[in-house]
Amino acid sequence: MLLGRLAQALRWERPSWKAVLQQVVELGLGSLGLVATGMAFFGMVIVTIAWAQARKYTGNITVVGPAYLELIIREFAPLLSGLLAASRQAAAQSAELGAMAVNEQVEALELSAADPLVELVAPRFFASLVALPALTIVGAMTSVAAASATVSLAFGADGASFANTRFVGPMDVACAGVKAVLMGAYIPLAAAYRGLGARGGAAAVGEAVTDGVVEACFGCLSIDFMVAAAFLPFT
Amino acid sequence: MRALGRAVLGLLGWTGAVALLAGRCGARLGGLNGAELVRSLVSFGARSLGLAAGAGALIGATVVLQAGVYANQFGARLYTGWAAGYALLWEFGPLLLGLLMAARIGARNAAELALLTIHGQLEGLRGISLDPYRLLIAPRVVAGVLSVLALSQATFLVAVGFEALAALAMLGLPLRVFLGAFAEMLHLGDVIAGLTKSLAFGLAIALVSTVAGLRVEGGARGVGRAAASAVLVSCATIFGLDFLLTPLLAKVLS
Repeated sequence: MLLGRLAQALRWERPSWKAVLQQVVELGLGSLGLVATGMAFFGMVIVTIAWAQARKYTGNITVVGPAYLELIIREFAPLLSGLLAASRQAAAQSAELGAMAVNEQVEALELSAADPLVELVAPRFFASLVALPALTIVGAMTSVAAASATVSLAFGADGASFANTRFVGPMDVACAGVKAVLMGAYIPLAAAYRGLGARGGAAAVGEAVTDGVVEACFGCLSIDFMVAAAFLPFT
Repeated sequence: MRALGRAVLGLLGWTGAVALLAGRCGARLGGLNGAELVRSLVSFGARSLGLAAGAGALIGATVVLQAGVYANQFGARLYTGWAAGYALLWEFGPLLLGLLMAARIGARNAAELALLTIHGQLEGLRGISLDPYRLLIAPRVVAGVLSVLALSQATFLVAVGFEALAALAMLGLPLRVFLGAFAEMLHLGDVIAGLTKSLAFGLAIALVSTVAGLRVEGGARGVGRAAASAVLVSCATIFGLDFLLTPLLAKVLS
């Protein structure tokens, strides 16, 4: 719904590319630390679990490695990077936009004949479309690196098996790509919707942030499920 | 280099604040204000139930989707129940729910405490020699932890149910087979592992969001920023705890 209005608004005016670039940098770099650290930790954790599972069933982790790599690329990287970015991005954007809405800065924008959707939301939207896939790639690489390192250093087995792309096909990358783009579209929209709708004061800003982040996260979960289901016949 | 130093200092600052808060709350566990505890339990726990259930359904179905792909490839469909259940109990249940709860409970707690702080109400309480920790802060922390714990278990049940349904609908796996494999191959230790993680995550969310809320500076913007940083730091803490706990639990419980 918000997307429709945004598309309409964009037909009349174009957002300044400088603003978009600014947002790309802020969104990308801002979430980079969290995504990289989080995914690195996750890579190490998933390896620990794989190790336990491999010991019970195949006795050899190198068998499980390529399968886990496919899982990481197809599922975990988009989902977890998305959730982490959603948390940070939606929280920051809802907070900013909410504070602006409550301070009536948004109405002031409208009064000076600037469309808040174009000025405020559009740059963030386009930036997120670019930034989130980039963050997903970073997340995937970080977790794979962490996983390989953990297998080699902590378990003394062949870490390269986790970087073995034997099972990874174009469909996996496509699945991840679709997820990342959709999440990248959804997160700023959810955050903006909640942020701009804040009315009433500081309490409203808090509510806006809470709801914005929750909606963004839940949206990521839903998108992940729907895309995974859609791609299932193509495994 | 400077950014790294700042990050480390920030980390130490947070750790210190959290530890201090934990100590203060722990010291007052005996005389908590019951009314606030109940109110917080409802606000954090009961009101988040729908979200948690929905998340559980999605998580369960997605786990089965992915696990089923592998079970099919390796011709081990019977094991889908075990693989999916294992992954869920140990990892995805606590982690994904933790992230979601960090968003909902963490942001809400931080925002409410931030509001109370900037309106000077907490200091007002101290002014009339009432202890804000006993009255407000500690009950909320306890309520937060209990809510996350309880919600995790409820979510797990919902997730298992949806896992079974998803296995049936998308992989053609009979309910009996799925649930049978589940019951056979999972042990109490797995459940305890998931519980411990949920407890740890809940504690992290409650403490971090309280610190974030109390640290607020500024007006409406500050509240927003407090909520945002509550979510951010909670998520980072959850991932870190997950990393520390998983191998530890694996060693202790296997």
